[in-house]
Amino acid sequence: MATRNRTTVFRKYRDALNSNRLPELSSTSSGGPVIEMATTSFLNSNRSYAPLSTEDPGPSSRDAFTVGLPPDWVDVSEEIAANIQRARVTMAELVKAHAKALTPSFGDGKEDQCVIEALSQEITVLLRKSEKRLQKFSASGSSEDSNIRRNVQRFLATDLQNLSMDLRKKQSMYLKRLQQQKEGHDGLDLEMNLNENKSRWEDNGSSDMGFSVHQMAKLKMSEQFTAEREREIRQVLESVNELAQIMKDLSVLVIDQGTIVDRIDYNIQNVAVSVEDGFKQLQKVLSLSLSLSPPRTHTHAHKVLYNHNKLSFLKHSTFNIWSMHISECDFNWNCRQRKLREKGEWLRVQQCLLSCASSC
Amino acid sequence: MVLISAVRDYVNRMLQDISGMKVLILDSQTVSIVSVVYSQSELLQKEVFLVELVDSISKSKEPMSHLKAVYFLRPTSENIQHMRRQLASPRFGEYHLFFSNLLKDTQLHILADSDEHEVVQQVQEFYADFVANDPYHFSLNIPSNYMYMLPAVVDPSNLQHFCDRVVDGIAAIFLALKRRPVVRYQRTSDIAKRIAQETSKLMYQQESGLFDFRRTEVSPLLLVIDRRDDPVTPLLNQWTYQAMVHELIGIQDNKVDLRNIGKTSKDQQEVVLSSEQDAFFKANMYENFGDIGMNIKRMVDEFQQVAKSNQSIQTIEDMAKFVDNYPEYRKMHGNVSKHVSLVTEMSKTVEERKLMLVSQTEQELACNGGQGAAFEAVTNLLNNESVSDIDRLRLVMLYALRYEKESPVQLMQLFNKLASQSPKYKPGLVQFMLKQAGVDKRTGDLYGNRDLLNIALNMARGLKGVENVYTQHQPLLFQTMESITKGRLRDVDYPYVGNHFQQGRPQEVVIFIVGGTTYEESRSVALQNAINSGIRFILGGSVVLNSKRFLKDLEDAQRTARSSTNLV
Repeated sequence: MATRNRTTVFRKYRDALNSNRLPELSSTSSGGPVIEMATTSFLNSNRSYAPLSTEDPGPSSRDAFTVGLPPDWVDVSEEIAANIQRARVTMAELVKAHAKALTPSFGDGKEDQCVIEALSQEITVLLRKSEKRLQKFSASGSSEDSNIRRNVQRFLATDLQNLSMDLRKKQSMYLKRLQQQKEGHDGLDLEMNLNENKSRWEDNGSSDMGFSVHQMAKLKMSEQFTAEREREIRQVLESVNELAQIMKDLSVLVIDQGTIVDRIDYNIQNVAVSVEDGFKQLQKVLSLSLSLSPPRTHTHAHKVLYNHNKLSFLKHSTFNIWSMHISECDFNWNCRQRKLREKGEWLRVQQCLLSCASSC
Repeated sequence: MVLISAVRDYVNRMLQDISGMKVLILDSQTVSIVSVVYSQSELLQKEVFLVELVDSISKSKEPMSHLKAVYFLRPTSENIQHMRRQLASPRFGEYHLFFSNLLKDTQLHILADSDEHEVVQQVQEFYADFVANDPYHFSLNIPSNYMYMLPAVVDPSNLQHFCDRVVDGIAAIFLALKRRPVVRYQRTSDIAKRIAQETSKLMYQQESGLFDFRRTEVSPLLLVIDRRDDPVTPLLNQWTYQAMVHELIGIQDNKVDLRNIGKTSKDQQEVVLSSEQDAFFKANMYENFGDIGMNIKRMVDEFQQVAKSNQSIQTIEDMAKFVDNYPEYRKMHGNVSKHVSLVTEMSKTVEERKLMLVSQTEQELACNGGQGAAFEAVTNLLNNESVSDIDRLRLVMLYALRYEKESPVQLMQLFNKLASQSPKYKPGLVQFMLKQAGVDKRTGDLYGNRDLLNIALNMARGLKGVENVYTQHQPLLFQTMESITKGRLRDVDYPYVGNHFQQGRPQEVVIFIVGGTTYEESRSVALQNAINSGIRFILGGSVVLNSKRFLKDLEDAQRTARSSTNLV
């Protein structure tokens, strides 16, 4: 594709014209007007700018266009970006640690587990911190500035969300592999047990119905393995669910690709969006999600929600509600694993999820 | 892909070398140009955190020197004035100026003069001066499109603006493709001739250095034709997805506005129909209505399967899976809703306006013979209460275009009937259209009844029967493309500009229709390109027409013509 650069011609004209202008300036008394014009715009604003203006008039009046410092939130955004970068680096390390832990070794792998846990914790903390700071990006100030803030927020939110999802995927993959490994291990044990039982039984005949001491020991060992495996899995799941929480909180800020909200011309038209009064809608949704029944056609579900931006907020807040339930469930899992499958608990969780899925 | 990727490349190049936080400033035309190829999230990836229009940004006085400003504007005198004011009191740290077409020296002087603070870092010409709706279809979105119908004496300066914009757009296409074409135009159209000559002058004389690209064995071809050579296509009702949505609802820059149509939910009020971003649309945009219905039903069933599986959540793993799949699920859901609302809306309209009945007669009028039967059919529909005014007008117009000479008495009867029943539309409009696009004015063989070969072909087709009576019409463009493919485009009808000549078949052809294209024609081009005949066709026009827009252009032209004769 062809382009044409007019910069050199432009500069030539500009220099010629400016050099013509200079004699005029030096003829005026102070060259002040040029400086005033440049600095008054800063004086009029109430922002936290510190103009680094030069005071000399004359030939350097051209440099009187001062460069002010950027507003505070720029520092915050840079900090968040740095955190994201650090989280990325740590995640690469985590991947290596996962791989190492999965390779069969002679040790009991406890060190590896610690390393993995530490890394995961670090990443989660970084992401959580970044997310909290991101939420604090308030929409005060002029409309243009709030636009920029909102867009910066969206940009960082997308990055954070992608990172969280990535982390979750890696963790669930690791978890799966871990389960496979341990199951294989256990399965092998159990098989051995069964064979032994069978052979012993055949040996002893029908008189000995119970387990021998040897077999009891074996059973205890496999139970220990199972308990340990449960603990590991629970740990990973906990961090998985925390990340689910982060991801959903961030979804409020991220744009759906391919929809009207992702169009530049649409965004130019609809500048100001208030997310604060989405909170009121949250209350309504809480009551709605309990009463909604699965719709026959999915078009019915839309009638309830009545503003596009509020809609996405709503969808994600209902999502938040049930993702909180997930963490709750998970916390209970260890002590009440079987009880979870009892009707009461599950129905509650299921209902919330169903209502969320159907209200989408 | 070629048009869309050209504009995307330009935008990428604008943004890639400038680091840090940026603000992108566009004008009302370049907003459309950029919006159809680039999304907001992609801009964010490039650290563009604010997008503004050039006229609204001058209202604010607040300085933001931590931002670098990237301007992408058309080089019009208004924009240069805006730039002057903004450079005089700069708000941003750096200014990078990109113009979508050639800058005149005077404009460059004005800019240089106003840049007292030397904030401008670069001034470049990036020739993305057209709206790339589809991979092989572009539009220029010219507001006063109807000017092309009027003779030059009526409003010479506005007509000059129109021609300038068209020439700019065509030049940008060839600069983006890095080609210099041989130019041909439709003999019977003055405006096509004018545009062809001005384009040729620009490419071969005024800016011959800029257009001096590496020559291919056979030069590409630019063919400039007039909408009035085929007035039938924009008048017909459409039954393939993209064309139908535009005809019944209206597509602008790949967006559909559903706000005035009945009650839609808030997130479906404006939707995007872009073949680049929507796989279902890409697969179905040229399918006819019946097939679309089936495909949408299949899509809804698939979606409900997914939704059901989301509802059977028994274990923690299921929940985790739900969390993982939620973004996909949401996207699918949005897409399904969009297509279902569109098709529902269109079905409703078809039902209300009895379009199946009307369209059958329209297709008969456009394709087959039988003046007597046609007259009877049109009369019956005019008498039918449920047929709307605009449909009545279209039927009479289509009849008049076909049987202009055959039976003036019956034509008069139809005019009278139309006048008595449609308070809104006067028969004068039909007569105006006949003056513009009647049989004497047309070059192409619109009904295939001008020479023996075409008549024979027509008869053969009639005997064979048609697959679908509603989509039997082929736009005249199809025949034109076939002639070009066979190397048989007649010099008599489509002469070359100046001393251009072309030996052999071109491999790239750009066809520009002065007055506007239709989605039926862009479909024809896309299907032709898919055949891989060795020639790549690109279609463009001053606007994208539907019947409403075409009739509006006729009305505006008629009004202007009338008022100018009053002045004389």
